[in-house]
Amino acid sequence: MNNNMPNIIGFLCNWCSYTGADLAGTSRMKIPPSLKTIRVMCSGRIDPLFVLKSFLKGADGVMMMGCHPGDCHYQKGNYNARRRYVMMNKIFETLGLEKDRIGLWWVSASEANRFAKVTNEYTEKVKKLGSNPTKKEIFL
Amino acid sequence: MAKAIRIKNNVEEGLFEFLKSLLEKEKIKGVFTLKKMDEEGAASYSLITSVDEFKNAVPLFPYMPVNAGKELSNFTLLGKTEEPIAAVLRPCELRAFVELAKRAQGDFENILTVSLSCGGVLDLNTMGEKNQEDLISKYWDSVKKAEVSPNTRETCQFCENFLPLNADITVATVGNKDLDKEFTLFFNTPNAEEFAKEASGSSVSAEIESNEINEFKKKREELKEKYFKETETDENGLKSLINIFAPCLGCHGCSHVCPICYCTLCEFDSKTHEYPTPSLSSDLQKKGGLKVPSGNLLFHLGRMTHMAVSCVSCGMCSDVCPVNIPVATVFSKVGASLQKEFDYFPGKDVEEPAPQGTYKEDEFTKIGEQ
Amino acid sequence: MNNNQKETKINPEKGKALSSSKGIREEILNIFKKALADDIFDAVMIPAKVPNTDAYSWILLQDESLFEMADPLPPVMAVQGGRALSSFSKNGELDLKIAALMRPCEIRAAVELFKLHQINLNHITLISIDCPGATPLTDYMNDPKKLAETYKKISEKWEVSESLRPACQNCHRFSLIDGTAADLHIGLLGKNDKVTLIPISSKGNEILEKLGYEPTDSLEEWKSNREKLLKEKIKNREKFIKEWQEKINKTDGFFNELNKCINCHNCMNACPICYCQQCYFDSQNITFKPETYLQKSKEKGALRFPLNTMLFHIGRMSHMVLSCVSCGACEDACPVSIPVGRLFSMVGDQTQKEFDYIPGMNREEPLPLQDFKEEEFCEVETPNECEEKVTEEAK
Repeated sequence: MNNNMPNIIGFLCNWCSYTGADLAGTSRMKIPPSLKTIRVMCSGRIDPLFVLKSFLKGADGVMMMGCHPGDCHYQKGNYNARRRYVMMNKIFETLGLEKDRIGLWWVSASEANRFAKVTNEYTEKVKKLGSNPTKKEIFL
Repeated sequence: MAKAIRIKNNVEEGLFEFLKSLLEKEKIKGVFTLKKMDEEGAASYSLITSVDEFKNAVPLFPYMPVNAGKELSNFTLLGKTEEPIAAVLRPCELRAFVELAKRAQGDFENILTVSLSCGGVLDLNTMGEKNQEDLISKYWDSVKKAEVSPNTRETCQFCENFLPLNADITVATVGNKDLDKEFTLFFNTPNAEEFAKEASGSSVSAEIESNEINEFKKKREELKEKYFKETETDENGLKSLINIFAPCLGCHGCSHVCPICYCTLCEFDSKTHEYPTPSLSSDLQKKGGLKVPSGNLLFHLGRMTHMAVSCVSCGMCSDVCPVNIPVATVFSKVGASLQKEFDYFPGKDVEEPAPQGTYKEDEFTKIGEQ
Repeated sequence: MNNNQKETKINPEKGKALSSSKGIREEILNIFKKALADDIFDAVMIPAKVPNTDAYSWILLQDESLFEMADPLPPVMAVQGGRALSSFSKNGELDLKIAALMRPCEIRAAVELFKLHQINLNHITLISIDCPGATPLTDYMNDPKKLAETYKKISEKWEVSESLRPACQNCHRFSLIDGTAADLHIGLLGKNDKVTLIPISSKGNEILEKLGYEPTDSLEEWKSNREKLLKEKIKNREKFIKEWQEKINKTDGFFNELNKCINCHNCMNACPICYCQQCYFDSQNITFKPETYLQKSKEKGALRFPLNTMLFHIGRMSHMVLSCVSCGACEDACPVSIPVGRLFSMVGDQTQKEFDYIPGMNREEPLPLQDFKEEEFCEVETPNECEEKVTEEAK
């Protein structure tokens, strides 16, 4: 964390959340510089290893974003993403890892407001968690 | 209710004779079970087709050199067996085969599954050692008294799923004090019933569940809580995880013997996870030091995301680990949480798809809307 | 073992002796601290004890504060150094100057891997050290405090103790001064508490000069102590080779040693030389239909599962035994205590002799199967004519 600005990696699906993020940008909404976005075609493309690797490499937070259930551009991708997130959340919980460092949000293409709100809120949450201890761990 | 036959013989000999007679009369063309490799006590699974070779079969030998479910998968990977064979498997090995069959990695057809109420298996590093006979004798004492044997694998000590699911034939062992003289064979499925005629014993009215079984289950559940707590992952999280996996050599022996890990080339053995040399300077700058070979926790946590939900807690992983990491206990703990979350029991139903391959539209509705 | 002409004579006549008032470990670590501070190296690969555990692991160290967890000669050889070095140095060019401090068998494994294009030695300085051996990994993990204590005692006295790994008890290449494997060697066999830095290559010489450690001290004492220990170890090794040749030299002698094998392939995965991402013996090349397996079973009455256990061992042997450095990592990793390290080491010895090849000893020497002479091994082709030829040449 530089100047208390956390480093958050976001995996955003192309059709909904990434477009929503774009709209928030063009609408000049205030988004914290914490989020580094990576566009994937569908939230179903998000391999749990993307999230795990980001976490182990020191990302203070990881956001998975996609279309609301039922609205997936590819019909089913976000349902799979939801199960994968539930699984990772449970693994983190069982092993005592900071499960708040990963999260899943449904944000549609028109929900620029929601994108801004969610990103701002999560950034505040991660700030309170502090810097991810994996940044300093040599024996990972 | 299953058909039950009581056989007046000690359980090891009795089961041996039963399987031998099936082979002799050509009711089955082969028996897949443990076979002695030498006089020092080494045993290995074997597909035995001749009665002569069968003389070295030791079906209830209390060791698991490999998970038999994995081997049955290797046997039926390219198709089902046309000839009927009997396979003697422990409950977790049977469940592993179910998990593999549902992923198109094996086929149950024409396989007569013979399982048992399982007292566990001894640690592999005692196989063929001088004190093996003594350990085996103490093991059977524990089984008869329905006590947890301290020399068995940790996963066995805390296993509450020691009654087989969907086996054609079950051998009742745990809690039966007279195993030296008599035992009961349960014929559970319609497929099994025609083989009941071959058992030389008398039909009895019996059930495998008993007070001893229930007490045994309770003892094991208590041990489960104890072993799970000992991993200390609840309190210390990342630190505890790093310490548990600190000795890891990255040999990946755990994944290679795991029945659920069936990938020919595991992602973690492939180029995807090789360290990109150009990243070295920046990585070193950030932390001042780097463990090599790298990717230790990523491998273990990643493997969990791939298979923990189907973990049958057989304990092969811990047994082959060269540095005594309690892999099986950690994976079982995570597995149990995931199985509860998805209401999934690995090995219960070959038709039920594994959680990663399916979804319901109206589940986890609160997720993502926060 | 002295019938091998490829072992070049010891060239260095002088070294730099440092007397360690703080002890050997401190002295060695100080050398590396100085080298990092003076920008001679950017990072050092060295064994380290993971804090709050009894586990040893390799670290690439850049920050001086991390030296407090470093240990040049831990009581165990957990990950074979050659394998660790290869893990980060094969995918591209290193833009850092790395020094790797490893045991002689690990250095030789690294050189073999270099010949197999699995290690890029540009920017890497190989530093070997006199090695007293290591204790078996299983014994150590079962009782780390006891084994650490035992190791301290036996290593200080350079005792060839039975508490050491069998590979170490039978090892006669514990002091890698011959050939062109290492750049620099750390001698510990001199007078008590003396650490002697010995340059092997010109790079090594350069490094000593940069450190301000010009090699002007005599190596006589170190050499004489080394000779003494070498004699004892050579005798041990000859005894070991003979013993195992006899053990194996009966029907099924080799295969019987593998009765307990569960085909887990830990030996292969621990082996530094076995670098294939997808081992042939793990591939689907040897998978068949159930009918075929049943047929195979009927041929002998039974078919062992896991399949191809013996094929795996003898096949792996044919793939790597010419490069086997007898490090014993395989035996340390075996969950059923098969003496696989000893088996492969003995066969390695015999086969390497045929090619007059010592794995990892010389960087320029090609791997035996990647090279040939037009006139060689006439005893295989034309045994009768060959005898005459050999006597001719001898004249």
